[in-house]
Amino acid sequence: MPEPFHILIAEDEVLAAMALEDFLSLRGFRVSVAGNGIEALERFAREKIDALVTDLRMPRMDGHALIREIRQRDAELPVVVMTGYLTHDSDLTHDRWKPLEIFSKPVNPRTIHATLQRMLGMPPATADA
Amino acid sequence: MATGFDELLDPNGFVPHGVCLLWRPDILALHIASDTLIGLSYFSIPLALLYFVHRRRDLVFGWVALLFAIFIVACGTTHLLAVWTLWNPDYLLEGVVKAITALASLATAATLWWLMPRLLVLPSPKELERTNTALEREIAVRRQAESRYSSFFNNLAEALFIVEVRPDGDFAYEAINPALARATGLNPEQLRGRRVRDALSPEVADAVLGRYSQCRDTGESIDYEEVLSLPVGQRVFHTMLVPMKDANGRVVQLLGSGRDVTERRRLQEEMVQTSKLATLGTLAAGMAHEMSQPLNIIRLWAENILARLRGNALDPDRVDRALTLVIDQTERMARLIDHVRTFGRRDGGSTQVFHPVTCINSAIDLVRHQYALEDIEIVERAASTDLLVDGRPLELEQLILNLFSNARDAILALRGAGRAAGRIMVDVSGEQDGHTMAIQVTDDGGGIDPALLPRIFDPFFTTKEVGQGAGLGLSIGYGIVDRMGGRIDAANVDLEDGHRGLRITIILPSQPASSLDRELSHA
Repeated sequence: MPEPFHILIAEDEVLAAMALEDFLSLRGFRVSVAGNGIEALERFAREKIDALVTDLRMPRMDGHALIREIRQRDAELPVVVMTGYLTHDSDLTHDRWKPLEIFSKPVNPRTIHATLQRMLGMPPATADA
Repeated sequence: MATGFDELLDPNGFVPHGVCLLWRPDILALHIASDTLIGLSYFSIPLALLYFVHRRRDLVFGWVALLFAIFIVACGTTHLLAVWTLWNPDYLLEGVVKAITALASLATAATLWWLMPRLLVLPSPKELERTNTALEREIAVRRQAESRYSSFFNNLAEALFIVEVRPDGDFAYEAINPALARATGLNPEQLRGRRVRDALSPEVADAVLGRYSQCRDTGESIDYEEVLSLPVGQRVFHTMLVPMKDANGRVVQLLGSGRDVTERRRLQEEMVQTSKLATLGTLAAGMAHEMSQPLNIIRLWAENILARLRGNALDPDRVDRALTLVIDQTERMARLIDHVRTFGRRDGGSTQVFHPVTCINSAIDLVRHQYALEDIEIVERAASTDLLVDGRPLELEQLILNLFSNARDAILALRGAGRAAGRIMVDVSGEQDGHTMAIQVTDDGGGIDPALLPRIFDPFFTTKEVGQGAGLGLSIGYGIVDRMGGRIDAANVDLEDGHRGLRITIILPSQPASSLDRELSHA
């Protein structure tokens, strides 16, 4: 059996992170959770991460800063952004941040799952939706 | 007696003076005519003097005229005696009369010289005339000034009134000006000279007499706002009373000026409403974020349970936990919604006695999470005070939120300039006497230009860039605090950690907590 993909969730709402963690774990991912951008960067430094699912507004280091840091280290890492609202001045829609997808909260975890599969080049799931 | 006197007058060998003149009729006639005329004239002069002194009672040194009268009568007598001695040689009598004349002359001359310096300083009629002219000019100027002041009194837009404090301590209206008459609908003629209690309706009299007594008893100026039911309807007046004292320090008069602020009050309330909308606008972005969080959690847990249900991997504990979470999150959202609802209410609720600390905590709760996301920490250093204040809790909360929002903007701006910041301190303290309390909101956002400090409570004044603030916030806050009978001040402060920031201090009149029950029982 191949090593499962390692997904890092950066989200300060513990309850939301827990539910998504459980949801993705059930579907065969290895999931880690970080409460803010700094913690997420620390995990990046220590572990091999295959994709990042991140909130934008977080204490200490927010999603924007986290994505900028990540892109300097890894230009290809798939990034999924979950946000309460996107400010008008956010440039995350710009091509230079790709591969990156943005979803508004409340997010549909099935959509997150399908997006991760597509970005990681996995065959589309058939068992459950 | 007759014998002695006769002896004295006895010729004793003297000859009549006519002998010396050889009884020449022409010489005799000349002497007789001259001396008689002189004598009679001399007798008439004192009469004129006496008549003058009698008519001019205001004459200074009138007694000198008497002295002159005596001296002149004596002189006149010597001349008449000179006629007498032409035939009768009564030279002793003549000598005695001359001696009397000499004494009177000497006394008059001496007195005259003695009085001379004082007589010289007596104003001459010319001088008096000049003085009179000057006085008339002075009176004209005074009259002009008086008419100018009475024109001020009658034409100023400010409502003015003068209250007499009677010796028994009661109050009566001396005058009210036309502006006051217009503003209140009271009739100046009906008020003039009447006791306050007779001139006004009992409720209005009670209200104003309380203030008049305070001004009379303290002897100090007071200013206050009062709501009065007047002939023109219910009006709000901002009134100032100034006590006037007599030489003994007793307050004998109160000068009052008043301004109808009913319209301004209404506009201020309007502005509070506008500012609420503005505050709501800035809060809306935060609200969207705040609402999306619980919604997200609900969605994720619902999906999670559904997935487990379909995969037959569901245990009752997990369902229980998930549903409890969902309920908790809906409550979190309901609280947010409630808050927005009450916030938008127009009247801001009725005034009531409340714990300001509850308000402050509510404001902190509303933004704490949102600010934490931006690394802004709200530090509460509320001394546990159970003092109460009187006002509208929502307005105070709005004000506190506004201060937080300003603090946040300052912090973010300072960070934008590359400097560290991120703390908002909230201090609440009560004075020992329990009559005032202070709320301080301090940030470490660098403070503001001292030259701008006096202007920050002006409407539409803002230090923010165009589009970032309407500048209504602090002026509204000023109105809110003012209505609560308090004051609000701003100052730059150096913090112990070396940062600099702005401190807004709100001082409110307060009352001990024990009075809450009494107030509530009124409601």
